[in-house]
Amino acid sequence: MAETHARPSVREIFSTLEYGPAPESHACALAWLDAQNRLLGHYVNGKWLKPEHRNSVPCQDPVTGENLANCLLAEPDDVAAAVKAALDARGSWSGVPGGERAQHLTRLAKMIQKHQQLLWTLDSLLTGRAIREVRSGDVPLAQQLLQYHAVQAHVQEEVLAGWKPMGVIGLILPPTFSFLEMMWRICPALAVGCTVVAIVPPGSPSTLLLAQLAGGLGTFCGILNVIVGPASLGPTLGRCPGVQKVAFCGAAEEARVLRQSLAGHRLELSLALDLESLLLVMDSADLDSAVEGVVDAAWSDRSPVRHMHGGLRLLVQESVWEETMRRLQSRMRRLRSGPGLDGAVDMGTRGAAACDVAQRCVQEARSQGAEVFQAVTVPSGGPLFPPTLVSGLPPAAPCAQAEVPWPLVMASPFRTAKEALAMANSTPRGGSASVWSERLGQALELAYGLRVGTVWINTHGLRDPAVPIGGCKESGSSWHGGLDGLYEYLQPSGTPGQLPFVFEHLNYDSFGLALPTALPAWPETGPSPVPPYGLFIRGRFQPSGAGSSRPIWDSSGKLHGYVAEGAAEDVRGAVEAAHQAATGWERQSPGARAALLVALAAALEHRGPGLASRLQRHGVELEAAKVEVELSARRLRAWAAQAQAQAQGHTLQVAGLRGPVLRLREPLGVLAVVCPDEWPLLAFVSLLAPALAHGNTVVLVPSGTCPLLALEICQDVASLFPAGLVNVVTGDRDHLTRCLALHQDVQALWYFGSAEGSQFVEWASAGNLKPVWVNSGCPRAWEQEPQGAGPELRLRAARTKALWLPMGD
Amino acid sequence: MAARSRGAELDLGWISKIQVNQPAVLRRAEQIQACRTVKKEWRAAWLLKAVTCIDLTTLSGDDTFSNIQRLCYKAKYPIREDLLKALNMHDEGITVAAVCVYPARVCDAVKALKAAGCDVPVASVATGFPAAQTHLKTRLEEIRLAMEDGATEIDVVINRSLVLTGQWEALYDEIRQFRQACGEAHLKTILATGELGSLTNVYKASMIAMMAGSDFIKTSTGKETVNATFPVAIVMLRAIRDFFWKTGNKVGFKPAGGIRTAKDSLAWLSLIKEELGDEWLKPELFRIGASSLLADIEQQIYHHVTGRYAACYDLPMS
Repeated sequence: MAETHARPSVREIFSTLEYGPAPESHACALAWLDAQNRLLGHYVNGKWLKPEHRNSVPCQDPVTGENLANCLLAEPDDVAAAVKAALDARGSWSGVPGGERAQHLTRLAKMIQKHQQLLWTLDSLLTGRAIREVRSGDVPLAQQLLQYHAVQAHVQEEVLAGWKPMGVIGLILPPTFSFLEMMWRICPALAVGCTVVAIVPPGSPSTLLLAQLAGGLGTFCGILNVIVGPASLGPTLGRCPGVQKVAFCGAAEEARVLRQSLAGHRLELSLALDLESLLLVMDSADLDSAVEGVVDAAWSDRSPVRHMHGGLRLLVQESVWEETMRRLQSRMRRLRSGPGLDGAVDMGTRGAAACDVAQRCVQEARSQGAEVFQAVTVPSGGPLFPPTLVSGLPPAAPCAQAEVPWPLVMASPFRTAKEALAMANSTPRGGSASVWSERLGQALELAYGLRVGTVWINTHGLRDPAVPIGGCKESGSSWHGGLDGLYEYLQPSGTPGQLPFVFEHLNYDSFGLALPTALPAWPETGPSPVPPYGLFIRGRFQPSGAGSSRPIWDSSGKLHGYVAEGAAEDVRGAVEAAHQAATGWERQSPGARAALLVALAAALEHRGPGLASRLQRHGVELEAAKVEVELSARRLRAWAAQAQAQAQGHTLQVAGLRGPVLRLREPLGVLAVVCPDEWPLLAFVSLLAPALAHGNTVVLVPSGTCPLLALEICQDVASLFPAGLVNVVTGDRDHLTRCLALHQDVQALWYFGSAEGSQFVEWASAGNLKPVWVNSGCPRAWEQEPQGAGPELRLRAARTKALWLPMGD
Repeated sequence: MAARSRGAELDLGWISKIQVNQPAVLRRAEQIQACRTVKKEWRAAWLLKAVTCIDLTTLSGDDTFSNIQRLCYKAKYPIREDLLKALNMHDEGITVAAVCVYPARVCDAVKALKAAGCDVPVASVATGFPAAQTHLKTRLEEIRLAMEDGATEIDVVINRSLVLTGQWEALYDEIRQFRQACGEAHLKTILATGELGSLTNVYKASMIAMMAGSDFIKTSTGKETVNATFPVAIVMLRAIRDFFWKTGNKVGFKPAGGIRTAKDSLAWLSLIKEELGDEWLKPELFRIGASSLLADIEQQIYHHVTGRYAACYDLPMS
């Protein structure tokens, strides 16, 4: 740092007691850049890859703008080269025993320890984050992550029997992020035997350094490949043959585009999108500590879990609003913003773009009548932005709905805990939140009620490798950390390898748009068939809104009956009914849920002969039909038992925290299920039971060829279950799928049908980024335990919430 | 010294609402120790400021005139003259803030300081230091006697049993009486935070002590098992700030016990600067109770000036 002005004398400082500059040397980082000839390429297969004829972008010191190096931008060929390296490494890496992978990860942790100073200096120099936080937070956590996952790799064969690694994982990281974001994802992926290709933006050479350190271990070179390029290479990466999963971290709009462009490619797409965080201050809180929580969340460079680049939404109870604001403003005066390499700086920079976004938001907020408070002036010359408090913007103000950018805090008052919950849950984002209250009951009530992935009570931003971090709603539903993080990169052992088969010309605008016109089916032979079944919505059968019905033929081509032709408004009604039933069902104890499932199993057995004969009419042998009925009842009972055993999650103990972390399993909300055509009874029950057992309410589309069995069961559902809990809509599957997939208030969708339908579902889910599970047209062995009732269903039927409960007095 | 704190009426409603979250305070304490650093000239200047805030203390059973006298001369000349000259600080009149002794040694200290031609005040501990388990009457008498001997600052210890049993009014009354007994002398109230049971009690006791008119609140006697810790300090500083916001009275803060290194003293200064602001960074409102700290600071200054580490005989003992 050049010192242009004269240094004050000891005498002057003695009277002012100012903080002086406390620059840290960055010589080692410059030496490393020199060693690369100030030209950074990609790190692939244990070697630097510096292809010719590529565009390059300057890699600058974000504060001074000094050009430190040039970065080559990747082109599709480079991505392909990296994927090939990862594919080549996959066999040997996943083939070795877990213990060997564990050793390798431990060696990498030690490697990082040896070069930690270089790592933190390089990261701080080029990202502009406060070096203190990188040094004391990120670097140790990176090592802990490796060590934790090394242990997981060690016990993988026992703990995760029945699962296999997915293969090659693509990872896409946003423009401003910490190298930790990469570590959170590569550690579990590598631990379970996957290999990784990461696309990182230019200006983050610490990830290249990490790849180089991993390469320096000499063995298993191709397991971690880092490519520098824009996030727009995402579709290219996803389409590379062999890539099984893409983990995307970044902005929601980019995620939607990626989701749509990768629809039908038969790869998993996991999203981690939220940037903004939430903090609730109740009147019983320790206000000074809550203010520190705000600083932690918004105005420090402590890399919090998933909002590296985000602001904070602050909700404060009206009775302590004045007090809190006063303390907050007084605290803001003490914050120091400056170059990241200064040891006494709280807030570094996030680059000029982030400052522009913040500035625009501040102007917009002002123009909409907000009060804006900025206590300190930041040193001029760099892209620094002062800590900013925005208040007085009710939710209806346009600015209050958008995501809060770094380093803004958007504060609003609320009156009661109930209102706080309503306000907190009224954004499309659901990443992390903290609750500040000294009343345990109140804090827990709020923590359970918040629709987010992580809740801290009376603290903010803690993280640990053993605790899963994730989100819900439009924050994306991927997980890292803990067991949940491992499952992200695993698939059940029996999963067949799928070749991508994309319908390039699938017309998303017209897929399933039109309702088929149903002509009367002539002749109606035999005794007059039963009147058409209605749609089962809100606990009773009702006619379809479209007013038409469709004939169902048995296997001999005879008319079996009529079902109602469900239309868009019926789907809407069903989803609405499911939402109304959701709160009640969620609050039911697991025991009560289990009891109802067992009762349904008994009813199903009671109906056994009737169901079996219907199955018979559809070409199933009598014995097989009886077995299917029996198995269906057994499935219901099995899920009932599971519901009681583990629906409630478990407790984790983490290092560095006194007190437990609860890993809760919460319902997704309204789950839409499009059942497969085959196994009309068993598949229906196998999907319905886990969904209910985990507290979801459901809208089902039963088998298209034989929906009558599902409707018959609904007669028992009507008498046993609360209305709206289970809704069954019959009709044209494509049309109903379209309605459900495009519905913004459906929280998750399972689709078992055609490949086109699967592709459409994936494409349409970009709307609210709901997690979807599709079969891409491949039949599933519902009669087999792993596919019909395996742990995969359990994982997909609920979402995890981590609840941190620090203790002490 | 600054103007005396006026105190305030006892307001139990005020302290009944208070909440202190211990894990959160612990986390803040961890962060605050690492979040600031001063280097070079800044470090030297900050260390000199720390010197001026020291209550140079000896509280031992074997104190006699001779070691009290040594202490008093060190109080007058805390840093070697030539080192101060090199920093161009020799004419700032840098002395420690006060000399702190047992009541029976006040006479010795006054005499020695007079001989040294030094106007550093003498502080006396009192009121049954360190346990406060004597009769109120003798405790009050102790204050009067120490003042007669020439002490101008009195460090009293509170009766912990009143805190632990929640007798806040009785505590308020006792400290009020101490305050009256002190007359013009400055009253520093030692809360003995290691024996108060919880941080919430620390906050409440701080508030009562300030309402009763203490000029300083002080963490500990140095004789408890737990001395001045950052979490406790954070709670006390927040209480001081709340009291200032409510009443406009600035009350001082004195950590004591366990502060031995120059680095510690810098951490304490930045803690005050962060929690209360620059106005509190002066001996009128901030003291460090310490005995061996000064030697370490002097060594650091020596190193700053000469670039070498001092041998033990390079610097005069106290």
